[in-house]
Amino acid sequence: MSIAFLFPGQGSQVPGMLHELPDHPVIHQTIAEAGEILGMDVLRLDTEEKLQSTVSVQLCLLVAEVAAARVLLEEGVKPEMAAGHSVGAFAAAVIAGAMDFPSALTTVKRRAELMEAAYPEGYGMGVVTGLKQDKVLKLTGDAFSEDQPVFPANLNAEDQVTLAGDMRCIEYVLERAKQEGARKAFLLPVSVPSHCELLHEVSQELAGELYKIPFKNPSIPCLSNSTARALRRGEDIRHDLAVSIARSVKWHEATLLMKEMGATLFLEMPPGRVLTDLAGAALPSVRSLSLSESGIKSAVLLGKRYRNG
Amino acid sequence: MINEATEERSWTTRRDKKAKKILQVSQLAVDKILPSEKMVEALEMLISPGDRVVLEGDNQKQASFLSHVLTQVDPQKVYKLHMIMSSISRPEHLDIFEYGIAEKIDFAYAGPQSLRVAQMLEDRKLKMGEIHTYLELFGRLFIDLIPNVALIAADQADVYGNLYTGANTEETPTIVEATAFKDGIVIAQVNELVDELPRVDIPGSWIDFVVVADKPYQLEPLFTRDPRHITDLQVLMAMMTIRGVYERHQVQSLNHGIGYNTAAIELLLPTYGESLGLKGKICKHWALNPHPTLIPAIESGWVESIHCFGGEVGMEQYVAARPDVFFTGRDGSLRSNRAMSQVAGQYAVDLFVGSTLQMDRDGNSSTVTSGRLAGFGGAPNMGHDPRGRRHSTPAWLDMRTSNDELARGRKLVVQMVETFQKGNEPVFVESMDAVKVGLDANLATAPMMIYGDDVTHVVTEEGIAYLYKSDSVEERRQALSAVAGVTPIGLQHDTKQTAALREKGLIAFPEDLGVNRTEAKRSLLAAKSVEEIVDWSKALYNPPASFRSW
Repeated sequence: MSIAFLFPGQGSQVPGMLHELPDHPVIHQTIAEAGEILGMDVLRLDTEEKLQSTVSVQLCLLVAEVAAARVLLEEGVKPEMAAGHSVGAFAAAVIAGAMDFPSALTTVKRRAELMEAAYPEGYGMGVVTGLKQDKVLKLTGDAFSEDQPVFPANLNAEDQVTLAGDMRCIEYVLERAKQEGARKAFLLPVSVPSHCELLHEVSQELAGELYKIPFKNPSIPCLSNSTARALRRGEDIRHDLAVSIARSVKWHEATLLMKEMGATLFLEMPPGRVLTDLAGAALPSVRSLSLSESGIKSAVLLGKRYRNG
Repeated sequence: MINEATEERSWTTRRDKKAKKILQVSQLAVDKILPSEKMVEALEMLISPGDRVVLEGDNQKQASFLSHVLTQVDPQKVYKLHMIMSSISRPEHLDIFEYGIAEKIDFAYAGPQSLRVAQMLEDRKLKMGEIHTYLELFGRLFIDLIPNVALIAADQADVYGNLYTGANTEETPTIVEATAFKDGIVIAQVNELVDELPRVDIPGSWIDFVVVADKPYQLEPLFTRDPRHITDLQVLMAMMTIRGVYERHQVQSLNHGIGYNTAAIELLLPTYGESLGLKGKICKHWALNPHPTLIPAIESGWVESIHCFGGEVGMEQYVAARPDVFFTGRDGSLRSNRAMSQVAGQYAVDLFVGSTLQMDRDGNSSTVTSGRLAGFGGAPNMGHDPRGRRHSTPAWLDMRTSNDELARGRKLVVQMVETFQKGNEPVFVESMDAVKVGLDANLATAPMMIYGDDVTHVVTEEGIAYLYKSDSVEERRQALSAVAGVTPIGLQHDTKQTAALREKGLIAFPEDLGVNRTEAKRSLLAAKSVEEIVDWSKALYNPPASFRSW
């Protein structure tokens, strides 16, 4: 019986997400700590207006996820592994003890700023669901050109892939996907082509930042975004955080791997339930629970039962 | 002339080495009993770097306490182990490679860890020996994979090290025999120590040490199929198989896989089979795990004997109450034996029926899909024709296709597949994923489950292809494509050939077999739920909680 903590990435944010966190001393401490490090009141970042900015989104996610996971730890729910999707991987690294929270805050802020500045227009992301991964990969490969590049960005499920790159080319692939029988294929309201080679320079600058920070070996393995492997060395986690922004996220494979590593309960940190749904679809036999939806109390009760079972 | 060097050679190096280790570890033990908290220390003394270690674990019973202890040994002391496992099932089976304790692996099945095996192979974190079938693996334990250490699991032990393995004997005797009689060290984890065993499955003189595990060994219910999930289409295919294969060839002894297709056949025997007057004529002798779905056929008097590879959770009481059918010990409980049942399934039965995820135009099939290295287990042992075999059952002889005076029969190897899997993936494909997986993983041969030239029949929802009757590769492909529906292989079928193939008996559609499609309904099943199976068993079957809905 093992528990995996899941940390969602961009797309899961909702207005008020920090205010909706449970009233728990550890939550208040974490929000205050973040405020001190960043020199601002982070509770002001989760308005609808502020969440238009990638920087606010990524910071809010990091704070909410670390705060909620700390509550679980405090209440005696200990994970055997941690996995974060995209920016969620920073929260996972903090909870696994690979990097400290202050370093994560400053690096994530920098990461978001670099991403925001990278591609002002003409680029973006789209998503295809209900068509097998290999078919989408083929369509993407066929449509790719140096002038109008398109890449698979997040391999989220057997039949859910997001694309990143040139808008015109993404639209073309979405159209082709519909013809091939995709259930849904549409553009995402995102202006940064994340998780593809177009962010190579961002990745390099981010690496520069990450190599200034000390990393320790984690107390539990963290799942890699770029390779879907279990990382057990601080050095490997640092490398993965740096490169994964310019590589596709192998989330589906990582989810399957966690089950093979013994995970019997997935607990998704707030906000949202995106990763809970993906885990539920990929692995019907593994229990998944989203803290946003079921509340921290249920998560603690269930977590303790799984630990004892 | 006596060579001096020969004279000096010791012929007891293995025995001497073992004696030295046993002496050392005896300080930790009382008689043969090692305290569980000293196990890490004991394993560090008993296992040497580079040793071949058999860790018991198949698709059912797992030496889960010992596998956990093995992850805790110091990789400075114990390293480069060559692991031999029927099944890579538990996370710690691969953790020992990540921690640098083990280096190489020989196995038969890795379904529950198939992604991680593929990843670790790619990352060069484990060296691949071979992916075996069960019998190949068991056989090589006596030839060139002779173990230095065996870590095994049993239900009970006494202070002399005698073991009781209850309903789940499985491959324990085989592993122990290969180790104990070549001066290897055998360590058994047991659920409890008792003064008197219900029966002795393995004598104490074969066992070196016993440890009482902190919790009972892990056991998976693997062969339980809930009849609720059987579809009308599977009922149709089962009806065709009963008429077009079992009845036609008078199949009396057989093995079934674990799919819903075969569960449907089992549940149709007392209803549809009975209505055809086939009772006592077919399906009398089985090499099979105690499938709950066979209970209605047993209770209706269809089944004369069943020899089992392993047990099945919840079937203990039922089996114990039916010793005329099952092999049982003096204590009443099932005596399973994987090695012997595999031999029987390979060499002594008329027919094997299985299923697959992919099949190519030549009838080759595999359950290996991209990114996963799942292995084979026992299906290829039973799903092939052992060529030197001689047999005189009606089914066997019915496979002769010439009047040659030396003509012999062959094993019936039947693949039962719907033309599409769930998710709209075709089963019949131009090229199987297994070919690419084999190349990617650098395997000596592509990981095929059942070779096409061994397959005699393919049953789909369209009809049956009688491949054994074909005269040429071309004709064989035509027959297969005729029943392959609208898959890439099915679309290659030349419909002008259909009538001729039917005429020649190479293919048969339901109407050719006297099977009425409209009759193929779930209502024909002797039991439509697990609850009804329990009723058939007179409440002797006790299904695991996950299969209870009442």
